[in-house]
Amino acid sequence: MASREKYDEALVVEQLRNQATCKAAFSKVIEHYSSQLYWQIRRMVIDHDDANDVLQNTFLKAWTSIDNFRGDAKLSTWLYKIAINESITFVNKKKVMNQLSIDDDESFLVNQLESDEWFDGDQAQINLQKAIASLPEKQRLVFNLRYYDEMKYDEMSEILGTSEGALKASYHHAVKKIEQFLGETD
Amino acid sequence: MTFVSQIGVMKQEDSTIFDKYGKDPGFKVPENYFNDFNKRMAEMLPDVEITPIDIKPTMWQRVKPLAYMAAMFAGVWCMMSVFSHFTSTNTMNSVSAVAEKLNDDKNNVEDFIMSGSVSDYDIISYEDSVAMSNEDDAEDNN
Repeated sequence: MASREKYDEALVVEQLRNQATCKAAFSKVIEHYSSQLYWQIRRMVIDHDDANDVLQNTFLKAWTSIDNFRGDAKLSTWLYKIAINESITFVNKKKVMNQLSIDDDESFLVNQLESDEWFDGDQAQINLQKAIASLPEKQRLVFNLRYYDEMKYDEMSEILGTSEGALKASYHHAVKKIEQFLGETD
Repeated sequence: MTFVSQIGVMKQEDSTIFDKYGKDPGFKVPENYFNDFNKRMAEMLPDVEITPIDIKPTMWQRVKPLAYMAAMFAGVWCMMSVFSHFTSTNTMNSVSAVAEKLNDDKNNVEDFIMSGSVSDYDIISYEDSVAMSNEDDAEDNN
């Protein structure tokens, strides 16, 4: 197993501003963030191949606009923002491809889950994913970030540009809706 | 409801879901997926040009230290003016107080004389010495 260098965000941000070191620094960024961004994207787009494509686009977009990153926000916040935007754009494109309205929920994404090679959950997990997919986009995002990533509300607030109070309310409503959905399904 | 029970309610908000479904959504990835992805992604990065950050200070950023210094001097000047105003008022008060005190002392001297602490002999001796010195002065003038 290759030994991993300790990730120093301040140093990496400094190296990203230097033409000679920026590419190597961004490789460190990929190594550090690929897993957490992948799981966030995967929970949004459900399918592994789609998540792989969106993750790739996320890093490419981040890399090509690295010159715009001035270190005012945290690197993780900036990457999460790009990943979430890319995921939403991807899901909306997929809705159009499936001749669905943008306002429709994302339940269609979960329909192929049973036959997905990269899913080993049971029927209960499929039901939970259906419940999450039935939520409005914002609540779905908040639920995924809070429930699975256990992200703090202040960090979430920076990523989503919403007040902490509104996020707490969104999470509360999301939990209630999921409970109701699962109650009706069981 | 106590604070502890309030925290309990907050923690339990998603406990119904957590107890039944846990936090594993059942998604998995191919073996070595992240290592392969990281390598592939790093190789895929096109060349980009990084603009060195050339931060030209704005007019305000340039004059800010001077403005702060001017404000500081103005503050010190104001404080000194106020201090000097109060000090001069106090000085005037003290001059009048000294005058009053001196006046009191004069009265005290008179009271001292009147009270007879200075004997008649002392007064006559003093008058003689004054008279003698006046005579000496007159002779010197002649």
